[in-house]
Amino acid sequence: MYSNNYTLGFVFIVTLVLGTMLSFTKDSVKSLQDQNLKADVQKTILRSLNFEENLLESNESIEQTFKNYIDAKCVNVEGEIVECNIEEVDIEKNEETLPIYIRMNNEKIEGIALPIAGKGLWSTIFGYIALNPDTDSVLGIQFYKHGETPGLGGEVEKKWFTDNFVNHPIKESNGEITYVPKKIRNENGKIISISVIKGGVDYSKSNKSAIHQVDGISGATVTADGVSDFLLEDLLRYEKTLDKIRDYGTI
Amino acid sequence: MELFNSESKKIISDPINVNNPISLQVLGICSALAVTIRLDQAIIMTLAVIFVLCSSNVILSLIREYIPARVRIVIMLSVIASLVSVVDELLKAYLYDMSKQLSVFVGLIITNCIIMGRAEAFALKNSPSKAFLDGLGNGFGYGLIIIIVSFFRELFGAGTITLPDGGAGYVLWSIPESWYAAGYENIGLLVLSPGAFIILGLVIWAQREMAGIEEEA
Repeated sequence: MYSNNYTLGFVFIVTLVLGTMLSFTKDSVKSLQDQNLKADVQKTILRSLNFEENLLESNESIEQTFKNYIDAKCVNVEGEIVECNIEEVDIEKNEETLPIYIRMNNEKIEGIALPIAGKGLWSTIFGYIALNPDTDSVLGIQFYKHGETPGLGGEVEKKWFTDNFVNHPIKESNGEITYVPKKIRNENGKIISISVIKGGVDYSKSNKSAIHQVDGISGATVTADGVSDFLLEDLLRYEKTLDKIRDYGTI
Repeated sequence: MELFNSESKKIISDPINVNNPISLQVLGICSALAVTIRLDQAIIMTLAVIFVLCSSNVILSLIREYIPARVRIVIMLSVIASLVSVVDELLKAYLYDMSKQLSVFVGLIITNCIIMGRAEAFALKNSPSKAFLDGLGNGFGYGLIIIIVSFFRELFGAGTITLPDGGAGYVLWSIPESWYAAGYENIGLLVLSPGAFIILGLVIWAQREMAGIEEEA
């Protein structure tokens, strides 16, 4: 039997050694991890803006593509451009400076990506939604960070779920089905966002809102409701900016 | 001690076959079900588990004579948890996409019963070299089963075979479009957890049959 002092001393030394080892590891890989995180966010933005996958293969090509095609700036709720350090804007809490990422091609806007973030069931979900220049139809949506249950709420980041936002089936008179993107504005041009529907979207003719709805995830109703809520809330913050782009083609 | 005498061979080969941690002792089932959706995930998970298992076995065996018995569980847990955190940090730095896919399951290696089990049952009673071999054997035994399970789940569930590379995985082979055109369909159930149970059950059955093990009634 060891004495209490020995036991305490032993535990102390083990903790000290393990703690040192951990902080040393973290310290030596921190800069690499930060680069990966930054590239991951940029990749999410580029993916939502429908860039080709082969441009997104390495951290270098992601950074290069981002630099070449993306015009990143901040706006306020009034739709005016404001100065900001875009990488340091707190997307979750921020109300005043709103980041906006515009895909440019020879001075022409090809898509607009906006950060979205909000509570799911266990965690804050972070992502980007990209709109076409009409600021109505969805170009893409991607989620990159969340702590939802894998297999349930975690499915929000999966392709089958994000594809729902760009694949609205329309039955042609000849029986063939074509796909169009979902829309965030109603007939009067007001932003009503897109809701995640428990169970699944009713695609019968009588459901006029189907174009503003996507299929939910079984076993993840709270996560889905969270996505519906923060999507509307975040899009409304950009309402004036989006109106401006729609009406004048620029901010 | 000679490294490859018959005793060391037995330490390595037993857990791969007649005393397999998953199929015989039915330990480590949680991660065996969770990370076997794709082959590349299973391979990286196997490497992570082998690293943690070997290192924790060696470290604990080295200090086994100094650990006060009443705090040994705490010491074992701290060593294992620290090693797992190191693996987690390294994956985030060097294999970011993979670490996103494995998500919480890397952290859950801490609670993998195989690792605590080997520490308590073997490492605390044997020399570091034997403990290392034991870690290697059990790591391979674990890996063998989850690689077999993930191979079948991915092939029949998603129609692909993916090997790990630096990024999102290298697709070695996928079922050609012509098969799908001819009416072939993936078995969606295999991608879900019940599918993992079924495959794992079949693997356990086959493995016990081959090893000639009979359960006492």
